Amino acid sequence: MIEKEKLRKADVFSGAVVSLFGLWIVSQALKMPMKDSWGGVMNVWYVSPALLPLSIGIIITLLGLLLCRIALKTVGPGEFKNTVRWLLSRRLVWFLSLDTTMRFYAMAVLFLTLVFLNLSRIDFFLNAVLFLFAFITMFYFFDDALMKKFLLFYLAGEILFIIYFALGLEGIFNGVHAYATDLLALCFLAGYVIYSWRSVRENPDLRKRYRLGLIVSLLAPFIIGPIFKYFLLVPMPKEGLVVAVLDYFWYLEFM
Amino acid sequence: MLVLDQISTYFQLLVQTVSVPANIAILFGSVLLGIMFGALPGLTSTLGVALLTAVTYGMSAESAMVCLLAIYVGGTYGGSYSSILINIPGTAASAATALDGYPLARKGEAGRAIGLSTTSSAIGTIVSMLFLVSISPIILHFALQFTSFEFFLLAFFGIMISGTLTTPDLVIKGWISGFLGLFLACVGRDKLQFFPRFTFGIPELDSGVEVVPVLIGAFGIPQIIQVLKDRLQVSDVQKIQRILPEFKTIVRNVPKIVRSALIGVGVGCVPGIGEDIAAWVSYGAAKNTSKHPENFGKGEITAVLSTEVANNACVGGAIIPLLNLGIPGSPPAAMLLGALMLHGVTPGPMITFEHPTFIIECAAILLLASMAMWVVGMTLAKQVVKVLRIPAPIFMPIVGMLCIIGSYSLGINIWNLYLMIPVGIISYFLSEMGYPIAPLVIGVILGPMADENLRRALMVSQGSFLPMFTRPVSLALVLIILWMVLVQIPLVRNLKNKAIAKVFRKRSVKR
Repeated sequence: MIEKEKLRKADVFSGAVVSLFGLWIVSQALKMPMKDSWGGVMNVWYVSPALLPLSIGIIITLLGLLLCRIALKTVGPGEFKNTVRWLLSRRLVWFLSLDTTMRFYAMAVLFLTLVFLNLSRIDFFLNAVLFLFAFITMFYFFDDALMKKFLLFYLAGEILFIIYFALGLEGIFNGVHAYATDLLALCFLAGYVIYSWRSVRENPDLRKRYRLGLIVSLLAPFIIGPIFKYFLLVPMPKEGLVVAVLDYFWYLEFM
Repeated sequence: MLVLDQISTYFQLLVQTVSVPANIAILFGSVLLGIMFGALPGLTSTLGVALLTAVTYGMSAESAMVCLLAIYVGGTYGGSYSSILINIPGTAASAATALDGYPLARKGEAGRAIGLSTTSSAIGTIVSMLFLVSISPIILHFALQFTSFEFFLLAFFGIMISGTLTTPDLVIKGWISGFLGLFLACVGRDKLQFFPRFTFGIPELDSGVEVVPVLIGAFGIPQIIQVLKDRLQVSDVQKIQRILPEFKTIVRNVPKIVRSALIGVGVGCVPGIGEDIAAWVSYGAAKNTSKHPENFGKGEITAVLSTEVANNACVGGAIIPLLNLGIPGSPPAAMLLGALMLHGVTPGPMITFEHPTFIIECAAILLLASMAMWVVGMTLAKQVVKVLRIPAPIFMPIVGMLCIIGSYSLGINIWNLYLMIPVGIISYFLSEMGYPIAPLVIGVILGPMADENLRRALMVSQGSFLPMFTRPVSLALVLIILWMVLVQIPLVRNLKNKAIAKVFRKRSVKR
């Protein structure tokens, strides 16, 4: 949690955001039927689907305003003006590029790219290895400079994938080879592995961590994934190249 | 005769559960996993229950309950390992244990502290199990007379009290969190008229927000971000010598154990607040009633005993409102609710009709879990504590991956992940800003109950709120909720404090 003093200043803004959100809920609730018939049911206010959302919206708005008021009273108008000035100054950029903030960005990028971009398009096991390896290398070396380097490399690769998917190249390439996208992902993974190795090979301690990270990234998905796929019978979000190979051995297709 | 029947059913179910070898394996495996989850800072029993919920999907309801209750019990106890050995609480529930557990370890008595925490935790769980079987019929008797007004007010009360007691900052933030959870519960088509609310034309949102992925996101993602962002590093782990069960110490402190267990069960019954509050309240009570309060914080044995009995007694206490009213008493119990519904068990007053022996079965499983926890704690503690050496940047990404595959596997729906990640990131910001997450989760879970019952109640009363004030339980709940709100007003709070100070002054004058 943020320190108490800064928290009160932040409360002014969070209270305002909460109030606006409450007003939005109220505006949406007022569009819901409160009279006439809907779905065969005659509406009155106490049967209306708007009843609870409207009440929640009003309460959230009031609580947000109250929070704003308490925060302003504690902070004082002078300090509030200083905070607004700070937000509009270059010090905000400095804050947004702090090491701790960069760590948050790294984790957010990893989760968002995995779930919204990769998971439904690339083989699950490749995704898992890439996710784990990128995550571990960014944080296990306890070096923010290295983390930024790896994050930029990872981000560059993901931007290329966004362009690849957005331009519909996935359909074209997969038409040529069924697992073209997975092969591209494998190349990206290999590239990341090599890039991160070259960044840490001079340092014996980091080399040791790199090896452990690589082993864990390879082992964990191949222990957890098969448990879900073959024992709990959960189909993977995307079953591509690696799942095809695993199926080939699991179902003894070579016999 | 009814009591004898129940006792006989209890032992029958106990024997039935242990006669299946798979259940024994699941029991010990889950307890061990729970202890590891509890021991590792950044992981919690809530997350453990959430992740295992996905794994139990293919199991029978009985085996699933063995698995989930065992990890819950193990996770609550496991936090004491890191509290005692490295002075970092493994879970919030064991934060109070660190105050005296770590100084004990520094004096070379780590084995004694762990032995005491193991035996205390087992006793706390067993006592809460006894309360579960004895109080449940009474609560059910009253709950069967509840109407929709009572259920609506219970849900509302649960959200309000959770917000009031779990907030690390202003109470208003706890309430905001609770109402945000209520809002999330409104997403989807409403049950009475099937009108789409806040779905924005997205068909996947028609059935509403899936509870378990939201819970995993709300609890798991912020934990991962916080641990790795703050670079939580484990210092030297204190060595453990022989681990002793400390029965003599237990026998000498029976009154303290009873008090701590009552505190744990009582706190557990209150919706939304969890084992951490039980442990702190018990610690405070132990210190205030001790002949040597100056020893607290320096390795006082009764402090470790009190906190560990209370936090594990909270487990059974939290299950009491969960099973009888459908209102979870703690965040892990909230996860259990999601798991129970997945297995076709709807907690609430009708549970004794739909599943007559379910509550007694849960009590039997709690007893088995506490015994398994004691055995594992006594025999494997020295090996289990090795997990404390696993660096956070290694196990946290694995936990992240487990959250993702676990959420996805519930419903085989990638949309669960599309909800889980944004909820997780927003929850992270909320917790950084001092908004507690537990009320948000309670709001998501109790929202449908509140919505349906409010409208049903008003339909019956033709729009009148009068029955809320004429029915005794409703009136009591209304007054408690009003009091909770009014006491936040500075004027009312000052008057209340003055009144309490006057009463205590009169008592000390009389003495």
